[in-house]
Amino acid sequence: MEPIEIGLWVSGGMLVFVILGMRVAFAAAMAGFVGLVWLRWNGFDYDPDRFWKAVEISVKIAGLTPHSKVSAQVLSLIPVFIMIGYLAYYAKLTTALFEACKRWFAWVPGGLAVSTVFATAGFAAVSGASVATAAVFARIAIPEMLKIGYNKQFAAGVVAAGGTLASLIPPSAILVIYAIIVEQDVGKLLLAGFIPGMFSAIVYAGMIIGIAMVWKTVGPPVTGFTWRERFESLPPASPIVLVVVIIIFFVYNPFGDAWGTPTEGGAVGAFIVFLMALYKGMRWAQLKEALLETAKLTVMIFTIIWGVLIYVRFLGFAELPDAFADWITSLEMAPIVILICILLAYAVLGMFMDAIGMLLLTLPVVYPAVMALNGGEMVAAADSAFGMSGPMCAIWFGILVVKMAEFCLITPPIGLNCFVVAGVRDDLTVQDVFKGVTPFFIADGVTIALLVAFPGIVLWLPSLAG
Amino acid sequence: TEWNVSVWGKRRAFTEHVEKLAELVSEKTGGEFTMNVSYGGLSKNRENLDGISIGAFEMAQFCAGYHADKNRVVTVLELPFLGVENLEQERAVSKAVYSHPAAAEEMAQWNAKLLMTSPMPQYNLVGTGEPRMTLEDMKGMRVRATGGLGKAFEAVGAVPTSVTATEAYQAMESGVVDTVAFAQHAHLSFGTINQADWWTANLNPGTVNCPVVVNIDAYESLSDAEREALDSSIEESLDHYLANYGELLERWDAVLEEKGVKKVEIAPEVLEEFRAAAAAPARDAWIADMEAQGLPGQELYDLVVKTLADTKAGGS
Amino acid sequence: MAGSAAVLEDSSLLSKLDRMLLPIERFCALLSGLAIFSLMFLAAYSVTGRKFFGSPMMGYVDYIEAAMPIIAIMGVSYVQRDGTHIRMDMLVSALKGRMLWFFELVSVLLILILIVALTYGAWEHFDRSFDCARPLCSRDSSIDVGIPIWPSKLVVPVAFGVLVLRLLLQTWGYGRALILGLENPVAVPLNLTIAEQAMIEAKSLEGLTDGTD
Ligand code: NA
Ligand code: NA
Repeated sequence: MEPIEIGLWVSGGMLVFVILGMRVAFAAAMAGFVGLVWLRWNGFDYDPDRFWKAVEISVKIAGLTPHSKVSAQVLSLIPVFIMIGYLAYYAKLTTALFEACKRWFAWVPGGLAVSTVFATAGFAAVSGASVATAAVFARIAIPEMLKIGYNKQFAAGVVAAGGTLASLIPPSAILVIYAIIVEQDVGKLLLAGFIPGMFSAIVYAGMIIGIAMVWKTVGPPVTGFTWRERFESLPPASPIVLVVVIIIFFVYNPFGDAWGTPTEGGAVGAFIVFLMALYKGMRWAQLKEALLETAKLTVMIFTIIWGVLIYVRFLGFAELPDAFADWITSLEMAPIVILICILLAYAVLGMFMDAIGMLLLTLPVVYPAVMALNGGEMVAAADSAFGMSGPMCAIWFGILVVKMAEFCLITPPIGLNCFVVAGVRDDLTVQDVFKGVTPFFIADGVTIALLVAFPGIVLWLPSLAG
Repeated sequence: TEWNVSVWGKRRAFTEHVEKLAELVSEKTGGEFTMNVSYGGLSKNRENLDGISIGAFEMAQFCAGYHADKNRVVTVLELPFLGVENLEQERAVSKAVYSHPAAAEEMAQWNAKLLMTSPMPQYNLVGTGEPRMTLEDMKGMRVRATGGLGKAFEAVGAVPTSVTATEAYQAMESGVVDTVAFAQHAHLSFGTINQADWWTANLNPGTVNCPVVVNIDAYESLSDAEREALDSSIEESLDHYLANYGELLERWDAVLEEKGVKKVEIAPEVLEEFRAAAAAPARDAWIADMEAQGLPGQELYDLVVKTLADTKAGGS
Repeated sequence: MAGSAAVLEDSSLLSKLDRMLLPIERFCALLSGLAIFSLMFLAAYSVTGRKFFGSPMMGYVDYIEAAMPIIAIMGVSYVQRDGTHIRMDMLVSALKGRMLWFFELVSVLLILILIVALTYGAWEHFDRSFDCARPLCSRDSSIDVGIPIWPSKLVVPVAFGVLVLRLLLQTWGYGRALILGLENPVAVPLNLTIAEQAMIEAKSLEGLTDGTD
């Protein structure tokens, strides 16, 4: 049998096990292991005597992968980004941020909802995970909106959608994971997420204002904050700004002499939030709880990473990614049409799957195909299909798939952010949240279309970084 | 026979001999013996020797400095300031060491047989700001240099700084490091040359040694014709490698000019001073360390020195 | 996403063993958390050293790489205990009773076989880097400062070993539920609907904030 056929059978088998409910990490690792054995035994002409030799070599290849793959310095960004989010609760940054946004922005139509969007965007600058952001703001922002007569479905939708900003605006665990799988510069990808993240927030805000102006009852403005009150709200929220400035200065210093690498920037940011949390009264019991929660989420993500990488190791031996890329480039369709089909496929897949699992499972095959579609890893902008160089295409596609993955957090039937919001609020059903979030996935559709049509929104900032 | 070959990165000057070898072997055996060169698909570069050991693939490339304890013998070729000036000389000294029984024996523990080296030019520095012309200038200089090379710079008061190769550009841009030690092709591919103000043409502080090895079982189970095709293609592949790298080095001066990078020649007495401060202690420490572990450190070092002298006398 | 589920307890031997393994798993996870915590200090220390004293920390990258297996893998069993490893549960959430336990049992058995194999493979990887005839028993060292790598490689088979114990208990738990036709078996993560999961997640966050408000 051809290696590629084995690759297809094993990948199909893996999908069956994933659908049957096996833990994604282990389903992928098992597929990789079985595939390695099969390929090798196939190479031995199915000689029964050499079956155990095939097993032995495959066990050793698979067994070295977890250590080999997790011992990379750049991966240390993921746990640090997750930890910042947990520490930020104890530093009471979330409430301070919401309060500040309320005093500054709530006077517009749909004011509290707009404030919530900006507060989630601000929190996104310290939090690397979407679901946690949605959960926190469901507790802080929804009660305030209900108090002044917001439609409860709408209020819930705002929070569920706002939570997704955390994965575009740096720091973002999922962007780091993308960068690692496709072997691109983490710093540039994080930087690239910033404008699309802010852009998404502005599209959300614009849409809220529009809705509030048409249907006056949806979200009345809140006025009456004095300038004094406004300025007083700033200091408690300012550590966020400090952390953001630090991370930006580490990643790319606009004044030339930057301070270090993104890895260090994330860690120093976390350190500042940690000091802040100490100051606000965090003690060992809470710290221990935060560490355990961080560890749990971290280990969960890393297990998928090494599990999927065992599968990817097998794919390397089976040469499947090359074959898929050849197939994609041989299609008689405009590259941009193919790209849009790929994005739509992600939208469908993402309805049923977790974002990180989805990216890890598909990117090893899809990413080389997209790069080939553009004209290759090192193609110059002038010769490319999408009008951008290979490295820029890698960044652009990364932001697009991460935005797709985030979009999937608010689409039925398994929009996890919606479930979390409904879970936090006893007075809301999941159906309520899905109803309330509908305008936002229209807004996201618009955002994604604009990012596809105008890649400059994504690429301007990273192109400045040289 | 079909072999899987594990290298990493992208196809570049550094992997041209492997590509050439695959081409020649297939040609000579009429397509009976083919090699499938995989760039990172089969293993991480630091685990290539493990992969050979367990039989995951049949041929691989790795660099001695990635894991000195896996390949102590070969690290003699990474000692600072050996005096190697060009790729021909690097090829000759590597071949001599690879043929030494101690090298073969240590590699055999990994089920590996040394096939050929990947001759690398000296890791000269690119730097920002004013050129560092004297040892005094090098005090406190933050340099991206790993392993033995890092220690050599440390010996003259510079500060070796850990950044990965892919972060080197950013580290330079951000001032995390002042200078980066790489071979020319790496200065190009990691973009450090774009940040540089100057490049040392004759510091020649040392280089990494990156052998290509084969799995012994796989090698022995080749048919006689296949093994003959493989063995006879090695020198030809290396010739191709050197010719190809030579072109890159010829373009190097043009690249420097285009990027506005100043070519710096360090004075001979400064070099001598540097060697005395850095090379001798590193060498003595290495020999003592090897001898303590029962390896012929002195003999290996002498072999390198002698081969180098012979090669230079022979006009290379 | 992390969807921790409930694990029931009673006075049976299985449940006792489950509760005996839990502190070990929790300890491993805490090690993981502490390693993450120390990353933060390491970076802060390295940056300050470089920025203000012109003396960066030698081997910073090597130390982080050595710590990564503890961070990434040590807690793997703790996460398996309450079913936090993600999966698609559209299908299993529709199942009930013996049918459900059958699916879970098959799934856990396959994982058990896989992890036993990986434990052996990971041990071999450690073993290749370990040779006590040499200084520091090292047969593989890091790139920058040459620290031995075997301790970091040893983390993997140890963590997987604990996971094997956990999977044995879960195999027992699901097997028992299948044979006896139990409704709420002990020592296995009970499959919750997504909504219930979200509820628990929200509760855990509440727990987090309660401590400070
Ligand atoms: Na974020
Ligand atoms: Na979804």
